[in-house]
Amino acid sequence: MSTKVTINRLATGVPGLDEVLGGGLPEFSFNLIAGPPGCGKTTLAHQMMFALATPERPALFFTVLGEPPLKMLRYQQQFDFFDSEAINHSIRYINLAADTLAGNLDEVLRRIVSEVETHSPALVFVDSFRSVVLASQTQDNPNNNLPQFVQQLGMLMTTWQATTFLIGEYFTETDTNPIFTVADGLIWLRQSVQRNSMVRKMEIMKMRGQPTLPGLHTFRIATSGIKVFAPAALNPVEAPLEFPIKRLKMGVPQLDAMLGGGLPRGYSLLVAGPSGSGKSILAATFLAEGARNGETGVIAVFEQRPNHSQNATLAGLIQSGQVGLVDSRAPDLSIDEIVQLLLSEITRLKATRVVIDSLSGFELALAPTFREDFRESLSRMVTALTSVGVSVLLTSELEDRYTDLRFSPYGTAFLTDAIIVQRYIEVQSRLLRIMAVVKVRASAHSDELRLYRIDDNGLQIGDMLPDQEGLLGGRPTRHRLGCDNG
Amino acid sequence: MSTLSEESRQIVASLAHRVGPNADIAKVAQAIASLLQDMDAALTPIIGQQGVAALYRRSLQLCASHHPRLARTYDSVQASLDLIALKSVIVEQSETDALFFGETLLMTFYELLTTLIGPSLTARLLRGVWDPSLSDTPSQETSP
Repeated sequence: MSTKVTINRLATGVPGLDEVLGGGLPEFSFNLIAGPPGCGKTTLAHQMMFALATPERPALFFTVLGEPPLKMLRYQQQFDFFDSEAINHSIRYINLAADTLAGNLDEVLRRIVSEVETHSPALVFVDSFRSVVLASQTQDNPNNNLPQFVQQLGMLMTTWQATTFLIGEYFTETDTNPIFTVADGLIWLRQSVQRNSMVRKMEIMKMRGQPTLPGLHTFRIATSGIKVFAPAALNPVEAPLEFPIKRLKMGVPQLDAMLGGGLPRGYSLLVAGPSGSGKSILAATFLAEGARNGETGVIAVFEQRPNHSQNATLAGLIQSGQVGLVDSRAPDLSIDEIVQLLLSEITRLKATRVVIDSLSGFELALAPTFREDFRESLSRMVTALTSVGVSVLLTSELEDRYTDLRFSPYGTAFLTDAIIVQRYIEVQSRLLRIMAVVKVRASAHSDELRLYRIDDNGLQIGDMLPDQEGLLGGRPTRHRLGCDNG
Repeated sequence: MSTLSEESRQIVASLAHRVGPNADIAKVAQAIASLLQDMDAALTPIIGQQGVAALYRRSLQLCASHHPRLARTYDSVQASLDLIALKSVIVEQSETDALFFGETLLMTFYELLTTLIGPSLTARLLRGVWDPSLSDTPSQETSP
């Protein structure tokens, strides 16, 4: 049996935060929540407080100078987690404005300690800590030693078995603020503004003894409170490919034949083609075929007017609940938010087929700050989706450029396991469509360029055009069979 | 606003309870002051002394503007939460006027807080003030 100390990890009640913290909040830790005004510090503190406080182990919320408590109570009530019944029961607000105004840190500390000794709280919040700092600076009393105050507060709170949060603002990370040394945890909230878009991000700069998830994690503040979008946990051991490969039918028999018998299960498939080439129709057929075999699916649409681009089959599947619709019109999406939306729908429906329609719309839906990393984002999304075992069909708008043969405008073709490309060609004053399977990883597939047309029953794949050549250039020429010999 | 009128009834009943039987103007003044004191005691730890003082000032101003008949009385009350000064103004009224003044002031204070932090939290914070079992003021007053 281990005789080492076991640190309990508290569930914060903030969706996604426990994952980012590396398994919850260490009990009796001394933490700083920092960030510029309006970034959600007080809201984060309240949400954790209402989740964690109990009548036996209450929370003390010390209000110092910052936000007037009356206003704080007024605005925090707008969140679903706020429960008036908890006030003066499991949650106590204590105003220290008068003590702080006097600028005597010893007195502030004495008040905090005496309240903590009276109520024996499990949680202590000091909002805002910055005003404590400022108050100490206006005094030239040498006893007002901020490092000493912070050090003592940290020591006392931990000894009294209280998990403590100081809420501060305007800290710069390069500051040598004594609190950075004393604190066990530093939770940094930011607002990243780029052009007309704002994205909230959280970073765990420090959390002693915890395998926190590094980097910036996006979050949103809604009426339910803060929601952090932690990156999807990836299954470290991916299931090896099973032979013979199990394949999914696409709903177009000739296309299944071209793919070598259907799309291998768990593959990602990129369908690239110009506008109007029938990518969305193929995607809907793919989902309908799944539904016909008793499978469920999820479709993420990133269009301005999704209802108008939906075809009747797809609308019916969504209506009947066989296909889940992820249609987030929320502005400034992050990749982790989208992945989370998709994964929760996949789990809810036990879905096996997923469609992203389209990557171009998806790129537009992302906040500008993420567009620079679009390839990386895509790669993470595809990995996250395929690692839960679903088969993914992604559509990609492809400008018809006949001078170069590309499969996606993003250089992302390598990310997917299979690629189908669609092109327009001009033959005898008509615009015809051709389709080819470019790649199916670890599987034989057809190399034919096949004509196809779209009618009321969907995609109809026709023959090759063996008497034409230069199809991919868009303007094929008649290949004169036998003429060379004659 | 049925909930508010219920709270108003509670305020009126609580005031009457604290005044006790055989009301005289001194008891009325004491009852009003003690209720204000209890409200102050319930709110100051949470919103601070200045927060309570500001609510009191705003309540006085609202009372004066809604009840012109008593405007002169309100005007003579000091805007700071000075209960001795308040009592000295009240005892100059008739008992009926003083009771009306007290009820109006307390109700206005309560309503003002309600507009700011909502009915449920206001009720939660001031619950102890109206509960007669939690207050021993009347028994103190009846024994001179």
